Amino acid sequence: MISCKIKLLEDAAIEARGLGRRYGNVWGLRNATFSVEKGELVVLVGPNGAGKTTTIRILTTNLRPSRGRARVLGFDIVREYREVRRRIAYMPQEFIVGWDHTPFEVVAWGLVARGWPIGDAKAQARRWLELVGLWEERNRPLRTLSGGQRRRATVAAVLATEADVIFLDEPTVGLDVEVRHVVWRAIRETVAGGASILLTTHDMGEAETIRDRVVLINEGVTVAEGKPYDLVKELPYEYRIVVGKFDGLEEYGEYIDLGDRAVIYARSYGEAVRLVEELASHAPIYMIGRVGLEDAHLKLVRGHVEAGAGDSVPRVQVG
Amino acid sequence: MWRQVLGIAYLESRWVRRQPLWLVQGLVGTIGFTIIIYVWGSLNALRNLILAYVVAGAWGLGLNIVAQTIGWDRQNRRLKHLVASPVTLPAYFLGVVLGCNPFLATQVLPALAIALLLGLDPLPLLALIPVAALALLLGAFLSLSILLRIRNPTNISAITNPLYTFTITLSPVYYPLIILPPPMRLPALAVPTVALMEAARWLTGYAPTACEPAWTLASLATWMTITALIVARRFKWGLE
Repeated sequence: MISCKIKLLEDAAIEARGLGRRYGNVWGLRNATFSVEKGELVVLVGPNGAGKTTTIRILTTNLRPSRGRARVLGFDIVREYREVRRRIAYMPQEFIVGWDHTPFEVVAWGLVARGWPIGDAKAQARRWLELVGLWEERNRPLRTLSGGQRRRATVAAVLATEADVIFLDEPTVGLDVEVRHVVWRAIRETVAGGASILLTTHDMGEAETIRDRVVLINEGVTVAEGKPYDLVKELPYEYRIVVGKFDGLEEYGEYIDLGDRAVIYARSYGEAVRLVEELASHAPIYMIGRVGLEDAHLKLVRGHVEAGAGDSVPRVQVG
Repeated sequence: MWRQVLGIAYLESRWVRRQPLWLVQGLVGTIGFTIIIYVWGSLNALRNLILAYVVAGAWGLGLNIVAQTIGWDRQNRRLKHLVASPVTLPAYFLGVVLGCNPFLATQVLPALAIALLLGLDPLPLLALIPVAALALLLGAFLSLSILLRIRNPTNISAITNPLYTFTITLSPVYYPLIILPPPMRLPALAVPTVALMEAARWLTGYAPTACEPAWTLASLATWMTITALIVARRFKWGLE
């Protein structure tokens, strides 16, 4: 165990403490505890079914928590939900903002629906469509645009709200690299403008690139919170080697099974060189690199699972 | 709140955007049907037709278009998006109704215009406004109380279309309740559209009623209470 302290922020945009949600007899979320500071982008990562979407749905006042408490900008999400809703925006998973309307209409009229004057809404729509590279397509119905363009329009519609706290549930899933970069730029500019964002993703590369901090959730429990570098630093390894699987691989220590390949970890550069020399005589070496957030994620999730995944699971707080 | 309503109405006008020719079809059909009825049945038949147009139009708007729009919004996660915003449930509902309203307008307005041209007294028509509002609400609530229980809400038209045919075409809506044998009149009031039509006849005085208004009001109050309770139980604006 690295550390068990829970950091309490004085000036938090989001503060969740022991959040849980039960669906019938099953706990979809058991103990989500984390904070997001004002003007910070926190990425919530975790495997499928870990409770990421349930956490976001509770924080956006869509779901009532079965236990625990949370505040958004100091307002209780249950008792003061109206105040919360005035200050947030939410892009649900796989949500597309429209079909028969144009990008300009969905952004501008979405803002009008939030109470913006029509003139201001149109000016804001132009600004955001230019930012996400959709201004040229502004008058084409969304159904005639590509999946990436539709997603960019949806991201623009949510970010253009200038809400104080924005929730994005897997905003870039299924997008190609270039479109992802456009979306990331829009997200980072929103944070630079002072908004706080809580974003979920499966993509560790995305998490490492755009986050300020990362919260790792597994089996309904938040198990680690910190900067990716600090999470990675806590790993007992420095290098990873992807090698073809062969009989006797287990002699080289713990590895991650990828079918006909495996990931082996080395604690130092010297050990990595030695391992590569030895492994190369048994099977092809596919990749050698430094450990990253994906490895930290795998290790923490695996450690968590092995620990029994109870509510009292050791919590990691680093950075 | 009016900005919220306006914004939602614009975004929810998807049926109008997708099928603008439906509006033209509705308009032409209404004008043609109004002329046919007047030619064969004179002003008296036209009075009944206008009442039926208002009730059937508002009922159909609620039952089919409004409820389907809400069902779709639920299915494609727009409701989750809207809950996490300043948009309130009344603003959303009014916006959806307003966004779908061109369909009702194309049905009712030409019929009213022709009726006025033919010398029908316009004042009693004002009494139809609350009846239309009630028909729309009741139609939407009835449809939603079914839609919120079925697994695939996009198939709602498979349920609402037969329901519409039964409540509008078969029931005494386009024809008067009074022509039914006396023992059948009171039970027929259990059909909400029949009660709505009786209320319309009673309030406008355009056509004779067949039952005491108290029975009509009792039927409408019962339907409204039951469907509103079901919808309130199943349809939550967040904090589910």
